[in-house]
Amino acid sequence: MKIRHFTQYKLFALLAVIATVLAACITPAQPGAQSAPTTGPILIGVSGPLTGTMAQYGAQWKKGFDLALEEINGAGGINGRKLEYTFEDSQSDPKQSVVIAQKFVADPNIVVELGDFSSSASMAASQIYQRGGLVQFGFTNSHPDFTKAGGDYTWSNSVTQLQASPALADFAITTLGLKKLAVFQINNDWGKATNDLFTPRVKELGGEIVANESYLADEKDFRSALTTVSDAKPDGIILISYQADGALIAQQAQEAGIKAMLVGSASLQSPDFTSLGGKAVEGTMILGEFMPSDPRPEVQALVEKFKTKYNEEPDLFAALAYDTINLIAAAIKEGGATRQGIHDALPKLKDVPSVIYGKVTFDPTTRRVQNPRFENLIVKDGQFVPWDGTKPAQ
Amino acid sequence: MPHFLRTFFDQTINGLVIGNIYALTAVGLALIFGVGNLINFAHGSVYMIGAYVGWVCVTQLHMPLVATFGVVAVICGLLGMGIERIGLRRLQNSARIAPLLATIGISFVLDQLVQIIFSPNPQSFPNPLPTTRLQIGGVSIGMTDLLIAAIGIGIGIILFLFLRYTKIGWALRATAQDRDAAQQMGVDVNRVNQAAFALAAILGGIAGMLIGLYFNTVYPTMSFQAGLKGFAANLLGGLGNIPGSIIGGLVLGLVESYGVALFGATYRNLFAFVILIAVLVIRPNGLFSRKRQAPPEPLTGTFIANNKPITLPVWGVIALAVIALLLPFFVGDPYFLQILTNAWLLGMVALSVTLVTGTAGQTSLGQAGFLAIGAYASALLTLRLHWPFELALLAAGLITAILGTLLVLPAFRLRAHYVAIATLGIGEIVNQVILNWNGLTNGVMGLTNLPPPTFLGVVAVLPHQIYWYSLILLLLGALFQWQLLRSPLGRTWRAIREDDIAAQAYGINLNRYKALAFAASAFIAGISGAFTGHMYTYINHETFTNTTSILVLTMVILGGMGNMLGAVVGAVALTVLPELFRGMADYRYLFYGLALIMMIRYRPQGLLGSI
Repeated sequence: MKIRHFTQYKLFALLAVIATVLAACITPAQPGAQSAPTTGPILIGVSGPLTGTMAQYGAQWKKGFDLALEEINGAGGINGRKLEYTFEDSQSDPKQSVVIAQKFVADPNIVVELGDFSSSASMAASQIYQRGGLVQFGFTNSHPDFTKAGGDYTWSNSVTQLQASPALADFAITTLGLKKLAVFQINNDWGKATNDLFTPRVKELGGEIVANESYLADEKDFRSALTTVSDAKPDGIILISYQADGALIAQQAQEAGIKAMLVGSASLQSPDFTSLGGKAVEGTMILGEFMPSDPRPEVQALVEKFKTKYNEEPDLFAALAYDTINLIAAAIKEGGATRQGIHDALPKLKDVPSVIYGKVTFDPTTRRVQNPRFENLIVKDGQFVPWDGTKPAQ
Repeated sequence: MPHFLRTFFDQTINGLVIGNIYALTAVGLALIFGVGNLINFAHGSVYMIGAYVGWVCVTQLHMPLVATFGVVAVICGLLGMGIERIGLRRLQNSARIAPLLATIGISFVLDQLVQIIFSPNPQSFPNPLPTTRLQIGGVSIGMTDLLIAAIGIGIGIILFLFLRYTKIGWALRATAQDRDAAQQMGVDVNRVNQAAFALAAILGGIAGMLIGLYFNTVYPTMSFQAGLKGFAANLLGGLGNIPGSIIGGLVLGLVESYGVALFGATYRNLFAFVILIAVLVIRPNGLFSRKRQAPPEPLTGTFIANNKPITLPVWGVIALAVIALLLPFFVGDPYFLQILTNAWLLGMVALSVTLVTGTAGQTSLGQAGFLAIGAYASALLTLRLHWPFELALLAAGLITAILGTLLVLPAFRLRAHYVAIATLGIGEIVNQVILNWNGLTNGVMGLTNLPPPTFLGVVAVLPHQIYWYSLILLLLGALFQWQLLRSPLGRTWRAIREDDIAAQAYGINLNRYKALAFAASAFIAGISGAFTGHMYTYINHETFTNTTSILVLTMVILGGMGNMLGAVVGAVALTVLPELFRGMADYRYLFYGLALIMMIRYRPQGLLGSI
């Protein structure tokens, strides 16, 4: 028994050594790096949440994609080829997003990848895309390190907090004339980074933060925190929140009898915020990126088409998805329907029409949009409308 | 009224209202635990469905509130009876752990169904009650608060009368006390089970609907947190203890409310779990259990089904290992290799769970905490101290072993299900510490640019390289564990699992051996977590969540408790299955849940059987 045991042990050890040598030295036959086909549809790979806790965002993406593709393909596609996408469900879980990344990289039909949604899922896959020479275009990735940590194949048209947070402070203090602010901050990477850039700018402008409440993404009960906030007597409440939690805070603030002006970041700008928030979100001021009631013709065109197709207004995520498909189409037209072509074309794009920004040009070093534009909005009768400059009665 | 006093009263009301909801959920879990000795993982899903049924009735059908409660009760009651039929009845005489897995499968199916029918978007649930608030000496109370309080108290009284004065209530209590004796006295235990499930589901559904009204939203993923909190409240009061559950729920609600007031909402769960563990350490059977009550039945151990596990001879295992090692030469597809890489890394975690749970009988639901400790340890060592990867990997294993054991230390006094929830709490605490300790962990921003795995200077980034690297780590981990299990140590662990009192009588120091089991387990899990982190190159607090812990326990149960090969088979099966179902898009996890239910239905002892 003793001897047998020892032999087994040695066998295992031997196996381990063999395998180590294998791993270090030998490269098994790889499927040859095939180039993208030159006929048939041009394929975009999407990695994002279709099931699980973040499924609602993936559902919005799909709507934006489908609408944009309908138009592009209806107009004859790109050089006579149809543009299509394949959506792989990652649940925004890094375990699954890396698997999808390998799948996409190995599939020569895919010329560009979009997504993922959360930072943990997106950034876990970045290196796989970078090595595979496939552009990862993260259109909702506001993590400031997203494009930095990836490499020259990691791009994004999402606004980072570096751009949006100081603008929010300017809006609250300078434009709206608020002095004492209470901040609600969702405690994820986006919320934290936003708040970290927001607070110093407020102080610079002479404002004061009288309460700061951070909460986890799945928080539903803000009554306790609101009690604290109410005691600090702020004249403005800053919502660094997403639409659902933002609406809850507004509602519970109203129930608690708090009268301070609500000011929020662009993330609130979703029909869900007004439908969930109802009367409580009336008069909320938002430093927005995209607004369905924006009179700009490109926005109205999208809203009309979106309403006809889905019987609802597009939210920011759907608009970003729509914009992104058009951006990618422009890149393909510029550089050709290959991975390298898209990679080379993105820094050269100039003033590509965009629903959200008007026109998009990338900064080739940060691989982000240059000079994104913001929109001053107010919630009026359950709608986001451009703010006309008159301060709502408090 | 002085200001702080008013704040205090406001927070108390918030806490009591939420506590009422927790109590309703917990009472349902207590009923089911009482008669079926089962933790019903599908309970949160019933709660969510109750909320949706209420939403449909109020917003779509414009029904009055009273009628809505009736509809919610009927539909959820039927649902509860269905769960009993599928999840419990046919699995009654198999391993205790089998019904638990069945309820996990059922919860997947229910959650996915709701998501498919009603879309994943949160739905607005406008409150039909007037929004006027009663002012009582400076304290204001909303109508919803009053409604929830009234329903909570009303249900408490009805439940008391029901259990006390009706025949079926007697039968229920008799079954909870001693199932076999009740059966001998002519109690139809199947009917009792069905009644308990129906009753529990009605309470859960009403709780869900109330929370929908309270927060004005319903959404499909509300189930998980609800189940967790109900479970915690139930444990706080003592498993299966109905009055205890009510008090437990209220205490939990109050503690959370005060905690949030003092430290901010980010700390809500941290607070809940720290208090829970503290209470359990002082009163291992919950706040309200009688001192002299019989010790709770172990979750594994004596309940492991008597069956013949499928065993492979050593050469068979070696042959499998060789096949796995040679695989990249035949299948070079990086997608396929990445799936198996994930399976090997999760296989390591499954091994670590089967060691503590299957062999030593200490159910662990906190393994994600070990993964996170390992990943952060190795990431910080390489990023901040510039250690080479190989050294950091080993150090991560050791750090996790030490930290992990220290963290679980307070749970050593606990038994069976209490260990499970305590470890779940520890996993949650690790997560919260990562989130809030900005200086060390960079908080929510996470750690970027982790160096990729290297071996003796060779960087392993290509799919076949990480495949081999992870496979070798798995094989080494398995070898290590196998050596432990065949030593006297393994026998001692099994003795503790089978009968800890007898083991103690033989002079075994329980704490020491439990510590050794958790240390070995945390070591393996920590290495897996560290490797995973470097493979991803980015980690944050969302990388390893408690859903991972539950997934890994599912793998272990599916493969067969305590069965090392089974753990790996379970890991491969549950990593490959969702990928196989990719073509089904939104229906993917529906089929995953159905597959789980089917597998446990036909192999309740696990695919390879328990050892």
